Amino acid sequence: MDIEELNDLIDQHGKALYGFCLRLMRNKEDADDLYQETLLKAIEGHSKLDRTRNPKAFLLSIAVGLRKNQRRKFSWRQRIAPTVAFNEAADTSYVFISEDSPEDAVLSMELRCKIQAAADGLCDKLKIPLYMYYTVDMSIEEIASVLKIPSGTVKSRLYQARKAMKKELEVDSL
Amino acid sequence: MSDSDQWDRLLRLALASDARPEEQLNRDIMNRYKEKSKTRSPYIKRFSIGVLVAVCTLVISVSAFAAIKLISSQQIAEHMREELLAEAFTSSDAVEINESVVSKGYEITLHGIVSGAGLQGLKNPSSELSPEKTYAVVSIAKADGSPMPTANDPEYSEVPFFVSPLIKGLKPWQYNLASMHGAYSESVTDGIMYRIIECDEVQKFADKGAYLAVIGGTSFFSIDAITYDEKSGEMSVRTDYQGVAVLFDLPLDKSKADSAKADAYLRELMKPEATDGDAVAEMARKTVQWKNKFSEGKGTTIPGSVQKVTYDEQGRINYKYGDWNIIIPPDRLPEGQTGDIPIQFSEREDGKVMVLVFTVEDNGDITGKVVEIEL
Repeated sequence: MDIEELNDLIDQHGKALYGFCLRLMRNKEDADDLYQETLLKAIEGHSKLDRTRNPKAFLLSIAVGLRKNQRRKFSWRQRIAPTVAFNEAADTSYVFISEDSPEDAVLSMELRCKIQAAADGLCDKLKIPLYMYYTVDMSIEEIASVLKIPSGTVKSRLYQARKAMKKELEVDSL
Repeated sequence: MSDSDQWDRLLRLALASDARPEEQLNRDIMNRYKEKSKTRSPYIKRFSIGVLVAVCTLVISVSAFAAIKLISSQQIAEHMREELLAEAFTSSDAVEINESVVSKGYEITLHGIVSGAGLQGLKNPSSELSPEKTYAVVSIAKADGSPMPTANDPEYSEVPFFVSPLIKGLKPWQYNLASMHGAYSESVTDGIMYRIIECDEVQKFADKGAYLAVIGGTSFFSIDAITYDEKSGEMSVRTDYQGVAVLFDLPLDKSKADSAKADAYLRELMKPEATDGDAVAEMARKTVQWKNKFSEGKGTTIPGSVQKVTYDEQGRINYKYGDWNIIIPPDRLPEGQTGDIPIQFSEREDGKVMVLVFTVEDNGDITGKVVEIEL
């Protein structure tokens, strides 16, 4: 991969990848690390990138795997020096901008935080496909391909995630 | 809009991300890429060419997901409280590989290998590490992300794995971890099994070449999993093997090959073990005694052990109960014989003697059972 190809990769998929990293890691510093490591790892495996012909899925799969390793590193560090979780909701850089009606914008600020908190509370098995579907806008088939599970399993996990979050939010009217 | 659609729309709005990576972050990535391109050393290049994954169609795919493992051999050794080995993995003679393959639902990663000089500085009276050994680090994970069973789980030993170097040109059933004074330690952490193996140093065979084999479903080498070409000395994975079967090419430094040392080692290894003539005679006497007692009906069947045998795709007889896990071809049984046939005796540490028995009915049905011999 040459520098221009890397530039193109970042241009086309950097935002989607970064958004996913931020959702997973819940703080900017760790999201930056995961984003950077993912791209550097992708460069090393660029021949596989060519073969997959789905660069976004390739990048996401690397990020998912790296994140698993990061969690283990984090858990080891935690025993030595506990850190304080970053409160994403307080960071105004990530103010939600609705593309629909102003009513949506007013409604969604509070609800958005609640929904995000409910999503964060899910286990990885449900959270990761959820973010791939809603944050990165991947199809069921793409998610199945990245996670190496059947499409039916992806659908089932999304269903379980939505159900669990609904219960958490007690959105009775929905 | 239905409730479900409305909920779906809410989730899409709430979980969408408008965040972008900062320009500086992207510049840092480009800069690191440029540095890596300039400073890649010949040593690293040699190994990046030399590490080939020698698998055939049994492997599902070398996917992007399979190439992810980041935890280094050093970290794994540290985590398993092998501090000296962790230090060895930072030496210039250690080779960090981190190559992954997905096989039969498992992701197998060869993390790294170190032997010889990499351990030289560590030899001290209290160290169990030796420059005469080779150490390798492997991890085994479920490809679907579900956790590997831990030692506390009842299914822990249901799928054993055999991890071993194999030398090209040497019969793998004769020369492997088990015969080359090997050992291993294992730990399951966060759903991933980590294994550190050690055996007699293999660098002396660098001119021949070597593999690292990972075979699932067995604690020993299995010819059902790996084929060996006696002419070329090459090995390959059998496409019809039901379990995990992976071969990594080991990137040995050819400059460290030593054929004289290798030949001397092989001669010593294959010397028949000096046996205690009295012990052999004693075992023969005991076996006759056990067979006689069994044929006289002096034994108690272990409850729960009585079960019909099963047959695998190759038609071999399978029996599993407790520690007994037997797979034998049907022609091992005496042809035409019915009734109780003792298959295998086992003397336990507490002195009890068990015998695995197959009962063959007139219609050919076979039932297995374990009998404790009355001594």
